[in-house]
Amino acid sequence: MSENFEPNIVAFLCNWCSYAGADLAGTARISYPPNVKVIRVMCSGRMNPSFVINALQQGADGVLISGCHPGECHYMEGNYIARRRFTLIKKLMEYIGIEPERFRVSWVSASEGEKFKNVIAEVTEDIRKIGQMKQLKREV
Amino acid sequence: MRNIQKIIKDGARKAVARDDVKYVLGWTPGYGFRVSPFFARTAEDTERLIFSPLCANNLTIYLTLQEKLPLPKAAALDKRKIALFVKGCDSRAVIQLIAERGISRDELVILGVPCGGVIDISKLEAKFPQAIKVEAVEEGEKLSLKVDGKSQEIPKEDILLKKCSLCEYPNPLIYDVLLGEEKQKKTKDYQGISTFEEKSPNEKWTYWGDKFARCIRCYACRNICPLCYCDSCILDKLSPQWIRRSVNLSENTVFQLLRTFHLTGRCIGCGECERACPMGIPVGELNRKLEKDVRELFAYEPGIDIEEKSLLSQFKPEDSEDFIL
Amino acid sequence: MRKKIGVYVCHCGVNISATVDIEKVCKLASGLPGVAAAKDYTYLCSDPGQELIKKDIKELGLEKVVIAACSPRMHEQTFRGTCEEAELNPYCLEMANIREQCSWVHKEKDKATRKAAALISASVAKASLLEPLSEKEVDVIPKALVIGGGISGIQSSLDIADAGFGVYLVEKDPSIGGHMAQLDKTFPTLDCSACILTPKMVDVYRHPNIELLTYCEVISVDGFIGNFKVKVRKKPRYVNINKCNGCGACAEACLLKGRIASEFEAGMGKRGAIYVPFPQAVPLVYTIDSEKCLFLRKGKCGKSPACKAACGPEAIDFEQKEEIIELEIGTIVVATGFDVFPAKEKPEYGYDAYSNVITGLEFERLSSASGPTFGKIKIGGKEPEDVVFIQCVGSRDKELGNEYCSRVCCMYTAKQAHLVREKLPNANITVFYIDVRAFGKGFEEFYDRVKKEGIIYRRGNASEVYRRGEKLIVRAEDTLLGEALEVETDLVVLSTGLVQRDVGELKNALRLSQSSDRFFLEAHPKLRPMDTATAGVYLAGCCQGPKDIPDSVAQASGAAAKAIVPLATGKVKIDPIISFVDENICRGCGICITTCPYDAIELKEITRDGYPVEVAFVNDVLCKGCGACVASCLSGAIQQRSFTDEQILSQITALGVE
Repeated sequence: MSENFEPNIVAFLCNWCSYAGADLAGTARISYPPNVKVIRVMCSGRMNPSFVINALQQGADGVLISGCHPGECHYMEGNYIARRRFTLIKKLMEYIGIEPERFRVSWVSASEGEKFKNVIAEVTEDIRKIGQMKQLKREV
Repeated sequence: MRNIQKIIKDGARKAVARDDVKYVLGWTPGYGFRVSPFFARTAEDTERLIFSPLCANNLTIYLTLQEKLPLPKAAALDKRKIALFVKGCDSRAVIQLIAERGISRDELVILGVPCGGVIDISKLEAKFPQAIKVEAVEEGEKLSLKVDGKSQEIPKEDILLKKCSLCEYPNPLIYDVLLGEEKQKKTKDYQGISTFEEKSPNEKWTYWGDKFARCIRCYACRNICPLCYCDSCILDKLSPQWIRRSVNLSENTVFQLLRTFHLTGRCIGCGECERACPMGIPVGELNRKLEKDVRELFAYEPGIDIEEKSLLSQFKPEDSEDFIL
Repeated sequence: MRKKIGVYVCHCGVNISATVDIEKVCKLASGLPGVAAAKDYTYLCSDPGQELIKKDIKELGLEKVVIAACSPRMHEQTFRGTCEEAELNPYCLEMANIREQCSWVHKEKDKATRKAAALISASVAKASLLEPLSEKEVDVIPKALVIGGGISGIQSSLDIADAGFGVYLVEKDPSIGGHMAQLDKTFPTLDCSACILTPKMVDVYRHPNIELLTYCEVISVDGFIGNFKVKVRKKPRYVNINKCNGCGACAEACLLKGRIASEFEAGMGKRGAIYVPFPQAVPLVYTIDSEKCLFLRKGKCGKSPACKAACGPEAIDFEQKEEIIELEIGTIVVATGFDVFPAKEKPEYGYDAYSNVITGLEFERLSSASGPTFGKIKIGGKEPEDVVFIQCVGSRDKELGNEYCSRVCCMYTAKQAHLVREKLPNANITVFYIDVRAFGKGFEEFYDRVKKEGIIYRRGNASEVYRRGEKLIVRAEDTLLGEALEVETDLVVLSTGLVQRDVGELKNALRLSQSSDRFFLEAHPKLRPMDTATAGVYLAGCCQGPKDIPDSVAQASGAAAKAIVPLATGKVKIDPIISFVDENICRGCGICITTCPYDAIELKEITRDGYPVEVAFVNDVLCKGCGACVASCLSGAIQQRSFTDEQILSQITALGVE
């Protein structure tokens, strides 16, 4: 692994909690590593696990999905529904030998700017340690 | 005990005689020792039907595979039912198919046959490399095989598909007529999967990477699956394009991940995907892995109850989330 | 590829340009596929900034616009408006958040610039696949629901009703009035709280447009802005409110008269099992406390219930049952108020141990002329010689998880200290404080006046209250003198703070979020303090955060104004970012139907190639656009507008190649 490997991480954030939490981190000028790039979705329930696989294939070294805390979903139960999908795709990916660190999920509320930073820092560091995505990375 | 061949032929003849039945879908001897699906439309046809430990095919696939040519304007819809033979595992595919509205219960006459396990053709070929014609009869825990005219007995363990030696559902769970005597259930365990889960990511990938590298992307595993029946499969689409056509490790792996994930909480473990794979990739193991997780985490089993809601469209607030930050 | 995308990069003064190399980003953006122009401007949200975009839309024939600036949560609506003014469909806009999620959180310019470029390229990729959408309009039911009958709920109800719209005011207690009705005097003007509140309560009662639903609770809320369906539980009062004339003969007769702690008197006074919370209650009808009433609990009360015998109009009805009523309304104001911090959570102050340690609210009842002591400050029948106030009890306390300032305690303590001085001219009065926050109109002047009344303000947090002989000892450290001290006292008043009240299922029914202080989260802390993330639901008063009376009233009027807008226009636009089905692909499995939390999808039969088939059908009005159905669909037949699989995949591709 190269010394100055900078992980490329794609994060899918729900509009109402986690995206707002990320905005709050910004408003409060809480700084965190620039490796994570955000795609906004309305709800974590929108996240089809195929997106996770696709991102890892298309060049992401890691994927983060973040939504509202259970019970606080703007759409009542989107995050609950999504949680089963996330659990199972994670198990499946790990079973074929994809490191658990590659796919992470967090619950970050609109008021948790500080937590958002911590999540980003942790995810980035964990992926930095395991290096580039190899298994799924698309051959060009 | 009456002869099973006679029982199933009688059953099929009665079914095909019904005014509201289009045809009976069953098994018939095929090329060499293989068995073919057979559509019996007359009483005469039913004479060709058999049931033996060689009847591995899950015929449920033909319910959704039937081609529906555009109906000419004046033509009336053929509303007659399809009668089909199902083994225990096949019956779960039927239940799942009904549960997810792939077919309606009243379109079917289900002829259930208890099954003591079916033969793994690759094991058979390994044991009898020169064999041309094989007949098999179940005798308790053994099979009596007639290989090119020579009879011999062989323990089931040595020749059945692996899924059959762990079969929990040898008897059909849904049927209109049950043909034959009920069989003893076995206990399923996920020993192999649990052991594999303990390995490091590197070890796991060494195993699977090698397997996926062999995939030729013939899509046989998808096409034979009784529960992969979308008219328009997302894996075939160009927009959006989830997967490229090229055959290489990355695309092959993604193909298998997406295929398996689409069967989460739906796969009933008939193992047809694995049986159809020309490259000997144990794709069914991925399905079994998810089957295990789904049972352990959500106490859910598909293909048991036609009223059951889909696993992924429900939740419990207390579902496990120990990996979530 | 047609070059019809315009990219606009905002400097936001130096907010973005200090960390992101705008010139470089623009140059990279101009090379992206489909981009016709990439320009930058100091403030895109300003008039000239928007004009620049509008001009380009017209002159370059732009079909899509990408704005790289602040969060879409901040200005997406602004720029949609810009597009619309230039006759471009407002949904052909995509924003790249290079401020909150880039320039404000990263320090190294080269890395921030690279990230900004990646975010822009993802936005361009998505923009090229965006489709124009049209907004449906639906009629608004011209009525509002106000939840909570404290001063905020009262004010909102009156304002909405005065504007000519129907209001249902739902209050969980037997009377409206809320906490304000319990207060003695109000700071800093010292006018009598009840005197200014009760006329408003009567106005509510009399208003032809207000239907008052007291002793009721909202149990569910369905629907959407303009068309909410609300279920309300009417708790049984066991008194027919149409017959009761409020004479009070029943309360006089009640066997438990004077034996039950009165909630209104904050436990300082007693009531019976049949009661009105206070004499000026609105509506002035009696309620039987079913948990205390002997007849309701045991089926027996003397020979026959005395209240029933005493009631002239025969209003008492022990057969009354809970009722569920359904309301159809257009907008909702949430004014559920606060709870007083439970003082027993600070055991070191001995609230549970000593009867002469009381809370600020209890002091209000003690001091009120209509209270249990008729306004005499007496504890155990004696007037205290020494009185100590301890501020910030339950506020500014990290250990309790209450980091926030409750905003009213400094001033109510000053007011209470003043009232003690007025009533007990010779008492020694000490106030322990951390800081005194006298920020409102007339506050500092009032604080100054109180200090000059011989009240000792000592800076420092009290650490403990304990008994020594007849007296209580307050131990504290004076942080200005840097010395520990003990003050003897006869009465300790804890300036308890305000905490969010547990509103149970209501929070989820209204899909409200909470900020870290647990109060309800407003849509924007500065610009949309009355709105919530749920369209058509507005916040008033302390449920959004601690407030004094004028602030509560101001916010309540603001929330009312917000709630009136849809009622007055009569129409609301339905967000077009919802799901839709490709009927050619849908296999009718119905997994989307069981996934949808809003029951917005159903199956319908269509004919495909001559065969009848069932496919999913999305009800545009019920769909809220979460997209959960899309993720559940195996064939990709159901998609979410502006968040299609293809659009999201294009963003992933763009971020991946970075």
